[in-house]
Amino acid sequence: MADMLSTGVSGLLAAQVGMGTVSHNVANVNTAGYSRQLVSFGARAPEWQGGFYIGTGVDTMAVQRAYSQFLNNSLWSAAAGQGRADTMASLTTQINSQVSGSTNLQTALDSFYGAVQDMANAPADAASRQAVLARAGALASTFTSLSGQFSQLAGQVKQQLGETVDSINSDSAAIAKLNGLIRTAAGNNGMPPADLLDQRDALVKKLAGEVGISVVPQTDNTLNIYVGNGQALVTNAEAHALGTAPNQYDATRVDIVGSGGSVISGRIGGGTLGALLDFRGNVLDPAQTQLGRAAQAMAATFNAQQAQGADLQGAIGGPMFSVAGPVVQAASGNGGSGTLDATITDLGTLTGKDYVLRYDGSAWALQDTSGASVAMTGTGTAGDPFRAAGLSLVVGGAAAPGDSFRVQPSRNAASSFAVVMSDPNKVAAAAPLTVSPASTNSGAAIPGFGVADGSNPAFFSPSSVVFSSPTSYSIDGGPAQVYTPGTPITHNGWSLKLDGAPAAGDAFSIAANTNARGDNSNALALGKVANQGVLDGGATNVGRAYSQMVTQIGSAGAVASADQTTQQAVFNQAMTAQQSVSGVNLDEEAANLVRYQQAYQASAQVISTASTLFQSLLTAVQSV
Amino acid sequence: MRVSTVWMQQQSLNTMLDRQSNIATLNQQLSTGKRITQPSDDPVGAARALDLGHQIADTAQYQRNITAANARLSLEDQSLGNVTNVLQRVRTLVLQAVNGSQSDATRGDIAAELVQLRQQLLGQANSQDSQGEYIYAGNRTGSAPFATQGATTYMGDEGQRMVAAGAGLQVATGDPGSAVFANIPTGNGTFTVSAGATNAGSVVAGATSVSDPSASPSAWDGGGYSIVFTAADAYEVRDAGNVVVDTGSYDPAHGGTITFRGAQLALTGTPVAGDSLAIAPSTNQDVFSTLQNLVTTLQMPNGGGADMQNAMNAQLMNLDQAMGNVTRTRGLVGARMNTLDQQQGLNNDLTLQYKSSLSDVQDVNYYDAVSQLNAQTTALQAAQLTFSKMQTSKLFDYLR
Repeated sequence: MADMLSTGVSGLLAAQVGMGTVSHNVANVNTAGYSRQLVSFGARAPEWQGGFYIGTGVDTMAVQRAYSQFLNNSLWSAAAGQGRADTMASLTTQINSQVSGSTNLQTALDSFYGAVQDMANAPADAASRQAVLARAGALASTFTSLSGQFSQLAGQVKQQLGETVDSINSDSAAIAKLNGLIRTAAGNNGMPPADLLDQRDALVKKLAGEVGISVVPQTDNTLNIYVGNGQALVTNAEAHALGTAPNQYDATRVDIVGSGGSVISGRIGGGTLGALLDFRGNVLDPAQTQLGRAAQAMAATFNAQQAQGADLQGAIGGPMFSVAGPVVQAASGNGGSGTLDATITDLGTLTGKDYVLRYDGSAWALQDTSGASVAMTGTGTAGDPFRAAGLSLVVGGAAAPGDSFRVQPSRNAASSFAVVMSDPNKVAAAAPLTVSPASTNSGAAIPGFGVADGSNPAFFSPSSVVFSSPTSYSIDGGPAQVYTPGTPITHNGWSLKLDGAPAAGDAFSIAANTNARGDNSNALALGKVANQGVLDGGATNVGRAYSQMVTQIGSAGAVASADQTTQQAVFNQAMTAQQSVSGVNLDEEAANLVRYQQAYQASAQVISTASTLFQSLLTAVQSV
Repeated sequence: MRVSTVWMQQQSLNTMLDRQSNIATLNQQLSTGKRITQPSDDPVGAARALDLGHQIADTAQYQRNITAANARLSLEDQSLGNVTNVLQRVRTLVLQAVNGSQSDATRGDIAAELVQLRQQLLGQANSQDSQGEYIYAGNRTGSAPFATQGATTYMGDEGQRMVAAGAGLQVATGDPGSAVFANIPTGNGTFTVSAGATNAGSVVAGATSVSDPSASPSAWDGGGYSIVFTAADAYEVRDAGNVVVDTGSYDPAHGGTITFRGAQLALTGTPVAGDSLAIAPSTNQDVFSTLQNLVTTLQMPNGGGADMQNAMNAQLMNLDQAMGNVTRTRGLVGARMNTLDQQQGLNNDLTLQYKSSLSDVQDVNYYDAVSQLNAQTTALQAAQLTFSKMQTSKLFDYLR
């Protein structure tokens, strides 16, 4: 009967382990990352007794978590995708709501040019001139406020980068610590502790949401984790912290560096960190640059038209707007004393890219920030500057080999956009000169003129151009000069362009347009600047440049939102698959509980029966 | 497949959250009436909406410009109407003055009225608009273009203010005083006739014209000529070099027309041998000088003779030129206003078209949105019902 008792006890113990595991599963039903645990039983080795093998009961073989490495890997990768998509969607939603708000540049442009046209209808009216300046101020503050919102977002991204790196470091430290505990526990007992593995897996999943990682399981039950292309984050029980460091060109901007100090910003993808870097480089920077391009185009075209006209006092129109030119930043590691001066010479070929000019010891080479080479002309001197992409670059000083400069043609332009005119009478509504054909002219030439250099001291001096033949003219009785049809005649800073052929004896007199308070000819031209293409080879006007920026931002938002939906679905699928193996199902646990309860009761009955049998035997012996 | 209890609940919850988010979006679309609430809703549409908004603003500005231009042109039209009235009164008075029944005294009265009318005309020429700008001063709108005392030299310039009435359409909204009042050709527009100062006869030059610009053997060449009567019934035409280029006969009893080189002069009265008529190419004379000349002529003592007749006839022709000039300018003003009206209509059509395009791009389709809202609400209710059912069917509930 002793066998029966011990068999019964083994059943009791096994059922207890089962019920304990069920209780553990039920208790952890809401624990994130918990994998349900399963008990496996095995029959004990039988005993040879009386020519038979008699069973001796049950042993609990193992308590293991229900787990699939493959499904967990998919879950981690889905978490990295989801972390990236969520962050990207949240950031792009923010920038989208910034451009959909009341600070709409197109409306500000329309109001400004509306005021300019109103002034064209009443060029001498002080109120309409004042309105132009007021609208110009509103336009400038729209530029700066949009740019300010972008900068604020950039500040937020910078802060989030720091926080994410901190979070990554604390998670990888925790994973490293768990690696150590798991290795020790598995070494002592031969069996890794399920709950510690679960904790570590949950941390790995969280880490994957923060940055794209690759996980390599080791034979000693530890996990090695790498980021980027091979930068170790966790090896064995050791964590290698990431860090942030100032960018080599721009100390206000942070890069991500590995534990060795090398910059790995460009190699990070996935997770919150990847999304932050992606957003900064591919949404925010281009938007800021595009807005800057619009600001530069606005200031350049309007100021140029101002310079073609005369203000209420008859002087050549001065600039109305000011805007910053390219930003040049020397690399922090530059060894030489080289300097670089960059200016925009051609808005038509200006791109939205940033550039790096590098000295290799013998020559300078220009690359865009993606690393593609950009061809330059010129020699880099003030007389013959390097020219590329609408920029002119003048190098000075003595650069050391390896020195480099970064040029951002339009990045800071929008924030610097300002109105520099304070006197409404300085708006150049009138033409500075009048050109009158002589009444005796017999040719078909209709004169038009432009201002080439309004600062010429003789600009306002009266002159006359007399044609001695259709191809020859003289100015103020000077020597005969050859007239080429279509080529403007320039003198004293003005240029006279004739539409149609002059005849011999035709004369044109040029004089200052004095007292012309009512002249609106340049005001009309100023009004037309609104639709004047200037960027992209003259195809894009300021308003269009802004709407391109809106499309870029909108597309980024739409893509991010679609991506978020996709990644959510991918994550749900991975989670469903992983949970189908590892998740706790309460109905299942209830059934298991009943099962173990019944087994326990049955084993107890076995013991009770054994006891009864023993009693029967004792009673029989006593009665003898 | 196994499902985990918590994950099932979570997914059920996520479904509800998604539905609620969709309902919130639809709610926002319905309450704002806009399909695009931020650029990411439709990046291309958002840019298109900006573009259309710009076109609408541009066109609205053109309409404002047209309103301003119409105000200026109406003012000019009204002013030119006044000018016409004044000149018509002048003409009536001049015709009265050349009547033979007038005496020096009555001519003096007419002259006095003409002086008043000239002042009135100067007032019109120095009209200002509501902003105090002189409307006939070209671009020099800050000062009066014609002096009210002494010589009436035009002091404005030839500038003409334009207005942008549409894309690529500029319309003039004024005329310089030089074109309206000052640069008026004398005589018949081609040449003038004046009687010699020493004429003793009573020949008076009436209507003149260039009747045949391609007359042969030689056409009108714009030169200066003189008609010299060699007798009461015979004349010679001499050119500027005093060379006789034509001769002819004249009937002093009935008057007649002298024609040479395509030019025609209607003459009346009896010349005396040696009397002459000078023919000179037209020059420009402002209307104020014409009026002043009329006054001076009418104030001549012992008037009513051929010399006054000739002088009055010459100035009357100048007056007619001035009236014709004002009428033509008024016609131009009318044509411009007409152009502006047409452009205004065109701009209205464009605005309507842009607005309808803008509505297509950015406005929400209410039927569509409301039916989507219903569908989403139903789906949310279903998800909520499912969730509550799921909570009540647990095995643990039955094991008691």
